[in-house]
Amino acid sequence: MPNEDFIVGLEIGTSKVCAVVAEGRPDGTVKINGVGYAPSRGVRKGEIVDFETAGKCVREALADAEEKSDIMIGSVYLAVSGGHIESFNNRGLVNIPPEREEICEDDFEEVQAAAREVSIPPPNQFLHSVLQHYYVDGQDGVLNPIGMMGTALEADFHIIHGVGTRIKNSIRCVKELDIEVEDVVFGPLASAQVVLDMDQKNQGALVIDVGAGTTGYVVYADGAVKHSGCLAVGGDHITNDLSLGLRIPMARAEKLKTEEGSVRLGRSSPGERVVLKDETGFAGKEIEREMLNTIIHCRVRETFELVKKRLDESGASMDFLGAGVQLTGGSSTMVGIDELAQEIFGLPVHLTCVKGTMSGPTNAFDNPQYSCAIGVVKYAHAMTAGIRRPGLFRRIARRIPFFNNLL
Amino acid sequence: MIELPRSTPSNSELNIKVIGLGGAGANVADRLQLDGLDGAELIAMNTDTQSLVGSVASVKVQLGRDTTRGLGAGGDPELGYAAADESADEIKAALEGASMVFICAGLGGGTGSGAAPLIANFARQQRALVVAFVTMPFTFEGRRRMAQAEEALESLRQQADVIICFENDRMGDAVNPRAGIQDAFVAADQTIVSGVRAIAGILRRRGLIHAGLDEIATVLRTQNSRSLFGFGEADGDNRAHVAIERALRNPLMDRGRLLADVQSILVHVAGGPSMTLNEVTLLMEELNRHVSDSTRLLFSTAVDPQLGGKMCVAILGALGAFERLPESVPRPAKALPPPVMAPVPEREWIAVAPPPKLEECPKTEPDGAVAEPVAAVAPRVARVGRSGLQQKPTREQKQEQMTFEPVNRGRFEKSEPTIVDGQDLDVPAFMRMNVRVK
Repeated sequence: MPNEDFIVGLEIGTSKVCAVVAEGRPDGTVKINGVGYAPSRGVRKGEIVDFETAGKCVREALADAEEKSDIMIGSVYLAVSGGHIESFNNRGLVNIPPEREEICEDDFEEVQAAAREVSIPPPNQFLHSVLQHYYVDGQDGVLNPIGMMGTALEADFHIIHGVGTRIKNSIRCVKELDIEVEDVVFGPLASAQVVLDMDQKNQGALVIDVGAGTTGYVVYADGAVKHSGCLAVGGDHITNDLSLGLRIPMARAEKLKTEEGSVRLGRSSPGERVVLKDETGFAGKEIEREMLNTIIHCRVRETFELVKKRLDESGASMDFLGAGVQLTGGSSTMVGIDELAQEIFGLPVHLTCVKGTMSGPTNAFDNPQYSCAIGVVKYAHAMTAGIRRPGLFRRIARRIPFFNNLL
Repeated sequence: MIELPRSTPSNSELNIKVIGLGGAGANVADRLQLDGLDGAELIAMNTDTQSLVGSVASVKVQLGRDTTRGLGAGGDPELGYAAADESADEIKAALEGASMVFICAGLGGGTGSGAAPLIANFARQQRALVVAFVTMPFTFEGRRRMAQAEEALESLRQQADVIICFENDRMGDAVNPRAGIQDAFVAADQTIVSGVRAIAGILRRRGLIHAGLDEIATVLRTQNSRSLFGFGEADGDNRAHVAIERALRNPLMDRGRLLADVQSILVHVAGGPSMTLNEVTLLMEELNRHVSDSTRLLFSTAVDPQLGGKMCVAILGALGAFERLPESVPRPAKALPPPVMAPVPEREWIAVAPPPKLEECPKTEPDGAVAEPVAAVAPRVARVGRSGLQQKPTREQKQEQMTFEPVNRGRFEKSEPTIVDGQDLDVPAFMRMNVRVK
């Protein structure tokens, strides 16, 4: 019997499928009951390329989650990602009729609609519009305008959109298993909800979720999302580079990457070699350590530089990010990645995973791989709880009837 | 408010003549005639009467009545040249009054290779602009044919204002390998036809942002003239997206991948009166994804009521190193007196040299009048020295690097490429950064 009080967050990642079962508490905290996990196949760069295989992996992960939490899963919140997802900021404006002069709920809906009156490429659909700031008659710093007097209400929104059909693919993959999809969330945005606490959002921070297939990023400043996006490059690319550069099979390259890989250059003694063991445990090919690290370094550097370039182009100021760069995601466990990020972004870098108002098995919190799936739960809880703690949930995404369009 | 209607001058005075020369040219001309090309007169010219009889062109000129006696030129350019020379008067009569002449020919054979440069010359004598659309033969047609084609291309280059060159080899790539040979040739013809149509369109439509022959010539002035051409047309809600998609899917585009290597491209966007700025922006954004940052992009747009609800985009560029020679289209080349060239270098170095910096002549200010003449000379000397140094890198042609290993994308071979700023991110980063691995 599916239990309505439980929230399930599902991430169909490139390297793993992860399902988190949690219980939302009325005080806004979330208790995690179990985390299901299955290695993923049929997903490339965050998007499903083999429907059937991916479906099997999802089933496996959900079964694992059911077993661990002892709860039957009926519906999930789904994280989506992929290089097609883009974002921009836009301001909406509504004039308050003079006979009323008071701002009410309806005006809020209207201002949101006004902010969405921009053109996005035709195949794309809106995914989120996240409220940034209100302005009443040009006065900024308004946290909650409802009930205030004014003649014009303006609001800045951060709008995230992506190719509709690709998002629908992920949804269908889950629905084929007779599991409802309650809502979809942009993966990096979900990760940011658990990686950052309220203070850090206010101070300003850049969250980079380095996954296997994609690298997502979200910039928070003044407590609001300033920029977000996704690059279809991740840990898989490192493995692929190693496989091509060192001429070794993918599986061997993956093992080499996780066991020996580092992005630090010039730290190994000259001529230092890594011995590749074959399946039987015998010493096989020898690889120069510096070579291995150079290949990884080039890829990671390029990825971070591309992220930085996109942020610079978007005009999001990097100078006021008091909480620095927060790295999360499976590939953020790479040795030395924080130093490289620090060099490129010129900000203090922290490797983080889930923190804050959560409780449950701690091993799930310590692993940056699960940031996204847990983030989805947190996001869903914030959306459905209906409680409005000023400053926190008012600012979290207000949804657009995107999802209804899909069903 | 007074509305100021944007004038769209009629282009009836523009007299376009399209010449289909030789066998390949005749096919193109026929196709153009069947598909219809407004305001242009089609002329078929050939040595082979058989082919002329079958042609549907409105004007037909038989070349070399005595030289070939109604047979083909037999793959001999000399014969083709002689034939055109013999029929010089007829050709000139056919070209009478043209302000723009398009010559479509397949190079490598007899008639096309031999007669094209001569006809281009005749057209120039009529003070017409000459745009040549030529195809290079398939490699399997043999070295000799290719050499003939290269030679013809070279002499044509001296006569025509603009040459757009299509390689048959690359056209073959676009066609389904199982498709009949007929289809392959039809596809090749169609590409040329849409090229003619697009260029005619660009020149004919007086656009909001106008592109003229000078822009086209700039874009195509490269050392090897492998042209890059894409044309797409669409209507409906999604027309901007579909149009650019189609343009990039053109055989000569390699799905937009080749765009990354191009140094300069011309983009022409045309649409009916309902075309919005937004659509143009959208289209250009999509295109920019395939183009590298350093590419020079010439943009032109025009509104053409004839297009109705359609929107079309033409992309034109040339592969290979960009030729920096100041020699522009040598239109009245013969009339140009050589002495004009002399002052050019001098003007050039003045323009190139940066203004003298203060530290170069620090004595100017305190000494005032006395130092002035010295100062006037000093920077001049300095400039000459500097410009001598500076000019070298600008003149230097960019050396293209050979890639030794075939580009490899490993496990991402079959997935959709992730292209950012013209770079394929699926290709290992160290390979693109030229980091040597063993």
